[in-house]
Amino acid sequence: MINVTCPVCGRKMQGQTIDEWPQFPMCSPRCRLIDLGRWLGGNYRIPSESEGEADETTDNMETP
Amino acid sequence: MTAQPSATEPVLAETPVSATAVNGAYNPDSVQIYKDAAHIRQRPGMYIGNLESSGLHHLAYELVYNSVDEALAGHCTHIQVVVNVDGSLSVKDDGRGIPVEEHPEAKKPTLEVVLTTVGAGAKFDKATYKVSAGLHGIGAKAVTALSDWVEAEVRRDGHVYQMEFARGKATGPLQDLGLSPNQTGTRITFHPDPEIFKKDVLFDYDTLEARLRELSFLNKGLHISLADERTSKKESFKYEGGIADFVTYLNRSEEVLHKPIYIDKTQDEVRVEVALQYTNGEEERVRCYANNAYNSMGGTHLVGFRTALTRALNGYGDKENLFKNDLKPIGEDFREGITGVISVQVPEPQFEAQTKVRLNNPEVEGIVTSVVLEALGKYLEENPKDAKRIMNKVITAAEAREAAAKAKKALKDRKSVLNSGGLPGKLMDCTSRDRDESELFLVEGDSAGGSAESGRDRMYQAILPLRGKPLNVEKARLEKLLDNTEICAIISAVGIDIGEESDITRLRYGKIVILTDADVDGQHIRTLLLTFFYRQMPKLIADGHMFVARPPLYKVTQRKQVRFVQTTEEMSRELMTRGLDNTKLQVLVSPGGATTASSVEGERLTRLVQVLDELEGALQILERRGLDLPRFLQRGTAGPLPVFRVHLNGVEHWFGTAADVDAFRRQEQERLGRELVVTDETPGQPRTNGHANGAPDAAPTFFVQELHEVHGVRRGLEKLKEFHLSAADLVPQVRIAGREPPPRYALENGDYRRLLPHMRDLVLEVRRLGERGLTITRFKGLGEMDPEELWETTLDPEKRTLLQVQLDDAFKADEMFRTLMGEKVEPRREFIQKHALEVKDIDYHGA
Repeated sequence: MINVTCPVCGRKMQGQTIDEWPQFPMCSPRCRLIDLGRWLGGNYRIPSESEGEADETTDNMETP
Repeated sequence: MTAQPSATEPVLAETPVSATAVNGAYNPDSVQIYKDAAHIRQRPGMYIGNLESSGLHHLAYELVYNSVDEALAGHCTHIQVVVNVDGSLSVKDDGRGIPVEEHPEAKKPTLEVVLTTVGAGAKFDKATYKVSAGLHGIGAKAVTALSDWVEAEVRRDGHVYQMEFARGKATGPLQDLGLSPNQTGTRITFHPDPEIFKKDVLFDYDTLEARLRELSFLNKGLHISLADERTSKKESFKYEGGIADFVTYLNRSEEVLHKPIYIDKTQDEVRVEVALQYTNGEEERVRCYANNAYNSMGGTHLVGFRTALTRALNGYGDKENLFKNDLKPIGEDFREGITGVISVQVPEPQFEAQTKVRLNNPEVEGIVTSVVLEALGKYLEENPKDAKRIMNKVITAAEAREAAAKAKKALKDRKSVLNSGGLPGKLMDCTSRDRDESELFLVEGDSAGGSAESGRDRMYQAILPLRGKPLNVEKARLEKLLDNTEICAIISAVGIDIGEESDITRLRYGKIVILTDADVDGQHIRTLLLTFFYRQMPKLIADGHMFVARPPLYKVTQRKQVRFVQTTEEMSRELMTRGLDNTKLQVLVSPGGATTASSVEGERLTRLVQVLDELEGALQILERRGLDLPRFLQRGTAGPLPVFRVHLNGVEHWFGTAADVDAFRRQEQERLGRELVVTDETPGQPRTNGHANGAPDAAPTFFVQELHEVHGVRRGLEKLKEFHLSAADLVPQVRIAGREPPPRYALENGDYRRLLPHMRDLVLEVRRLGERGLTITRFKGLGEMDPEELWETTLDPEKRTLLQVQLDDAFKADEMFRTLMGEKVEPRREFIQKHALEVKDIDYHGA
């Protein structure tokens, strides 16, 4: 039994195998698309410790 | 066209008689005469649309509308529709009854005029009906004209009157049937003319039910009942919630996000009623009505509603700063999943076509916008939880729309980063096209890509260098991301296309290997990549194609011989073994003051080092908790060390068992004469004066913390006994009279001798001893290895360690990723702190 939370909308889901679950780990094609859009849009960011070489940007957007 | 509504009525034959009705009385005077009804029979389609089922039902509705108008004017509460066994249909209301007195112009009973003369009707007279649903003087006439018999019964002025008609003409005089002392109303029964309607065009229960239910929704509190005597089916409709109930009904099988929002306001003589509710679905379902008529193509009221919806939600989202990452919702995003009913009552409605498919009154647009904008804005302010759900829905819709556009654009733009073979330009592909033996290394790190290119086996190892793009988010806060081109490069190199992520038959390599630096950044990039594959190409992981490479952490040089050590554990094991070889620990002065010296060596020393090493972990946790170790260890001199730390109103107490804590709490409750508030957070600062925090009336707070690591310390101290050592050997000796205490221990190996102030230094010193003669380099970045070294340690299938990524590992990476990039700062900070407490070597802890 697989229990996952849709990474986009937070819906909780259960399933047996991922072969019978074409949208795994998403709940829908739509959430998969939104997730892809976030990757392509550079919205997914992680904290970094490297110094100095950051691009100059006034960007202060929050991650979604 | 006769289909045009009253204001532009083209069949106007003569100047209408001026309205003389006073106080809304329904008198013969209020009926104005236009034209004879015979035309209807010649061109029925012009009046009721067609001669099919919908035309037939239209006749029934026209009569119902007249009754609804009576209800709108406030004179009718119950409308009964009955399909009779002979195929005729009756509409009965408890209104004022159609006037039967002689009409001043026509010199006929008004009832006859109403039912036979086209253009006659009280609808033109606003004093009688402010608004109306009927066909403006045509409806009832069409019914009479297209029926082979009609029976009209009026109860009015204490009497019952009856009159009969056929094919547009009266077939008898108005009859007074007798008294009806307490009842008023009209009942009209008609039988559709078989000369006009085909035999198989019959009244349909379900069609009638749907429309009557709708009318009942549209007229809050109006009771409409339907009975079919052919089948004994019947139903009764009455909705106190009006169109709000309508919305609930429409959404009966949907997952809704909030209770229906209901708006009802009259502005500039136009009554605007709106009900709306968002569902989890994606459809927009907004039904529009003007004067009870369904407008299938919308009209000015719908336009006004949409404007208000967009403005209200956009305004709220902007104000609350909900649209992140430059998200710009557009009109359709605000309407996704909305179910709504708009119902307006307009004094002079202008419709497109006889069938009223669209409302055309231009003034209605602004009125609806203004009413809805104000009411919806207020609703959002007053119901923040509903507002949040609605806005999330809008944001999702906008994001999905933008994501689809981005994916489409990425597919198109990808060509610019791809070479002629359809592969990313920076991919260093392998020669072999055998999927099973080929490997793709995703290499992140500034110089690592170059080393990997020279160090790889070109035959079957491909390299895709990636570069995380650092961003200065705020001062002192850096973030990294994989930008669009990197993501596109991964997708193309792997061979699985955007939009077809579940089809892994086109996978170009048997193994996809993530190779990142062994530092925190490298670990984060690995988490990011694993999350990407988990979410977008989980099948790749499930089918075992995903791997993480483990580059070595240490380079060890000994007399020009170079070795690599994979993990911290391995390294420290080696150093300890070397350090313990032929080493002796001399205990010079025992802490108890005894002068007899002793020594520990060989197996015993190995064991002592093990005990101290285990103990060290627990001690470090205590120190990270901010405890003063010498003071804490002293608490154990009389018995076992306490495990529970209790703060009562900020004052610290220590206990050995949960039972002791419980007893203390009871005792304090009794002493203070009140219950203690058990908090789940450490009080800010431990207080020493014993006074209660905050207001004197505040309930005393009680906080219990169990320091699990103390068990480890206890175990360690127990084991130290066999070496005649105790807690006092773990902390520096106190200076006496300012003098340095004499050294207590010495570590000896051949001519090497080192004095130790306390036993906690032993492990470190043994290790240092082990390092003698070695040069140890800690690799941080992959770039610190030259191509040969990278091949030797990481790429060579004979020697490397590859960890296969399981779905569960990826799931954990996804969880960690969510925490790392979570929008809430607090859980993220907690997460990092928690891990700082648990993980000794955060630089590397596996995949």
